[in-house]
Amino acid sequence: MKAERSSSYRDMQPLLKVENLVKRYAKRSLAGAREELSALDGLSFTILPGTTLAVVGESGSGKSTLGLCVACLEYPTSGSIWFEGRDIVELAEDERRRLRPQIQLIYQDPATSLNPRWNTLEILIEPFVLQRKFEHEEMKQRAYSLLERVGLSSEILGRPPAELSGGQRQRLAIARALALEPKLLILDEALSALDCSVQAQIANLLMELQSSLGMTYLFITHDLAMAAHLADEIAVMNRGRIVEQGPVEKILHQPQNETTRQLLAAVPRMTRTALPALDQ
Amino acid sequence: MRYLLRRLGHAFFLLVGVSILAFLFSTLAPGNYFDEMRLNPQIAPETVAALRAQYGFDKPLPARYASWVNSIIHGEMGFSFAYDSPVAPLLLVRARNTLLLTVTATLLAWAIALPLGIWSAERLGRLPDRLLSWGTAALLVIPDLALALGLLVFAVRTGWLPTGGMASVDFETFSTIHKLHDLALHMVLPVTALVLSALPLLVRHVRAAVADVLNAPFLLAAAGHGIPRRTLLYRYALPAAANPLISLFGFSIGTLLSGSLLIEVVMSWPGLGPILLEAILARDLYVVVGGIVFSTLFLVGGNLFADLVLYWADPRIRTESGAR
Amino acid sequence: MKARRTFARWLVALGLLHGIVIFAGFFAPYDPVEQDRKSPYLPPMRFHLVDAHGHLHVRPFVYSLRLREGSFDQYEEDPAQFHPVKFFLRGARYRLLGFLPCRIHFFGAERARIYLLGSDAYGRDQFSRFLVGGQVSLAAGLLGAGLTLLIGLCVGAMAGYYGGWRDNVLMRLAELFLALPWLYLLFALRAFLPLAVSPLEAFFLIIAVIGAVGWARPARLARSVVLSAKERDFVRAARGFGATNGYLLRRHILPETSSVLLTQAAILIPQYVLAEMALSFLGLGVPEPLPSWGNLLSSLQQYSVLVSYWWMYLPSLIMVPFFLGYLGLASSLHERGEAYKIDRRNLGTLT
Repeated sequence: MKAERSSSYRDMQPLLKVENLVKRYAKRSLAGAREELSALDGLSFTILPGTTLAVVGESGSGKSTLGLCVACLEYPTSGSIWFEGRDIVELAEDERRRLRPQIQLIYQDPATSLNPRWNTLEILIEPFVLQRKFEHEEMKQRAYSLLERVGLSSEILGRPPAELSGGQRQRLAIARALALEPKLLILDEALSALDCSVQAQIANLLMELQSSLGMTYLFITHDLAMAAHLADEIAVMNRGRIVEQGPVEKILHQPQNETTRQLLAAVPRMTRTALPALDQ
Repeated sequence: MRYLLRRLGHAFFLLVGVSILAFLFSTLAPGNYFDEMRLNPQIAPETVAALRAQYGFDKPLPARYASWVNSIIHGEMGFSFAYDSPVAPLLLVRARNTLLLTVTATLLAWAIALPLGIWSAERLGRLPDRLLSWGTAALLVIPDLALALGLLVFAVRTGWLPTGGMASVDFETFSTIHKLHDLALHMVLPVTALVLSALPLLVRHVRAAVADVLNAPFLLAAAGHGIPRRTLLYRYALPAAANPLISLFGFSIGTLLSGSLLIEVVMSWPGLGPILLEAILARDLYVVVGGIVFSTLFLVGGNLFADLVLYWADPRIRTESGAR
Repeated sequence: MKARRTFARWLVALGLLHGIVIFAGFFAPYDPVEQDRKSPYLPPMRFHLVDAHGHLHVRPFVYSLRLREGSFDQYEEDPAQFHPVKFFLRGARYRLLGFLPCRIHFFGAERARIYLLGSDAYGRDQFSRFLVGGQVSLAAGLLGAGLTLLIGLCVGAMAGYYGGWRDNVLMRLAELFLALPWLYLLFALRAFLPLAVSPLEAFFLIIAVIGAVGWARPARLARSVVLSAKERDFVRAARGFGATNGYLLRRHILPETSSVLLTQAAILIPQYVLAEMALSFLGLGVPEPLPSWGNLLSSLQQYSVLVSYWWMYLPSLIMVPFFLGYLGLASSLHERGEAYKIDRRNLGTLT
């Protein structure tokens, strides 16, 4: 569990403020009927810099869509997303493109978020190549230091991702995401596809990065126990809406909403013993 | 019923689209068909003037197209400069002959390919299957032209079969039975050529589709229940393979139609192929357009038939399109 | 791994065959256009090692042919005139690879012409015409297939990546092109272009027409690959680093289409060679005197040729190895794709 933060944090400007975010999809069924699905139905929350907000909900509650919208990769149907005081929804396409490196997404399955035809070095320096700021030698140097930071050895550089383990791949994805020094990191079920022991390792890495770099995290997950471990605040999501939000302690011990209670009840026994706070 | 209407509408759209495309291509043609017609001493200048008025040769493309469509409604389909006659009666006879050839070849090819493919799929990887694979490969690598010419050489050397055309010289004097016999004899060579050219790919695809189904978990489960082999094959496997097979059927009609073009010319079978070729060499615009439209009609019709059979056979399609 | 080796083997075999055709000037003993009006419709010559007196010769040799008594088109061997086969001898001028002037031919004879596949109505060597004609037909197939795949890739990528009305319009157009039986479409396109053109113009015209006909199926395949590639996370990640559409297409999405396009190429090339043959055979393709595999066979349209001069049919059999090579290539590419699935043979039959 994260240590309680001092109240001075509360007075800071939020890094991210989401207001009434709505995202609807028009779907065509095979018979030709048009249906509208609301993935996000009026979502609002804030994240203070240097903290972690966990958005917890079941599969299908629209969580991934949230990640894509905040990362400027999708346009919401309506609502606003304030990043460092600017509404990114209102920006023009090339402004958004310039902003994207500052908000990075770590995807659930590292096997699909890394191009299997490329080798590690190419994958790692892609952000630098796209920004066109550095010479090849300097890019390699930065790649080495990124690997070091996430705890990977430089001997993997020539290999394709298929030859790495799941944990190594996710570390690589994190290293790549850090390349352009983002302010906000969105973790979209980033730990769910990993083995249990590896999950713990990556979680620790993330926490260590946060404290050393002052990163802000938006952690999207269905795993309430993991959220409790990593986050400062938890927001519970159901059917595209935030039904409850608050500091971790409060959510765990005084759940107000039925969804929250259901999620709490669903945490398996063994995890519960590891987190005695859940039982109180 | 709604499905049928939708598919019919789609088919109609395709036919119209293709005819427009054909007209569009005709604007690429250098030279005016019409100037060539004027040079032809057999056609009276009054006829030329009348045709010009009727088909609007000086007007822009949409007007010409409209006159052509109008002529279809009147049963003419444009005018052939080479034959000095409306196109429709010319092409209808030819279309019927092509249809005769193609339908027979399709039925025969499938009658052979289906059992062969199933038999091969059952023995996948074993010697009989491998032998058949090599056999189909051998047939596949021989060009259709070579096959057709080879059959002709065979016919010429043995004298067993007529070497071209659709009917013997004194056809009209034959009794009905004799006529049928004569027709059948004349059909042997072109149908054989068509079937041989289409068979190898057909067998391979049937084999692949059936082998895929034979591998499916649901079939292994059924076998585990002790259901006898024959039942498994005909009541479980084959219906599941119906989808790809019926699509293959639609596709095979296309390849057989294309094949028939060449074979009809080589074997002098009076179908759409030879008249299309003549029309191209004679720059006879409306016959070319008409020939293209007819061949498309057959292909689209065949695919429509396949779609409808699939609709009837595959419950999934019914529920998908019926669900609202 | 085995599948990759098989593919390599077929590629090598095809390469050898194409190599012979590329160096047709060298391997062909004579200029394909060169006529010999005194030797029309000569049958293929036979090679001998033992002469009429029973002597064994080291070099194989041929007898020249003379007309049989009382016949005007039946030939027999003349045992008095024998010509040993020589290799690497000087003969007609040609240009190696199209630009290097050269006179050395692989084989031939000093004072007579060796007709490996016989001669045609004008006394032209069928074997030489086959090799040089192969250049035309194979080039038409390869270039035509290249054009089709290029068009198909562009259309499919545009439809798949941008979607919306572009996708609708392009796919409807593809449907129209697929609604025609392809040979009819080919003939229709050819119909509306000038008929009397020079051989070179005809060659490029044929390539353009053949290439423009078959783009619809590769376009659909490319489109579906692009559609699924577009949604991959690594593409999204690259967008997250500020990638433009052009970069995404170039570096991530289009490379995914390579295997589909390769398989299509192996299928299309032989099909297009056959298309060129069909056009040339019927007089709509490459005109005389430029040889192509199609017009090599066109004399067989005459009944008399069919009856009396069977060797005119031989070229259609000798081209079979080329088609076999492409079939093997396509099969091995298919196998490579299937290698990841479970081997069906292990699962046995129904019983």
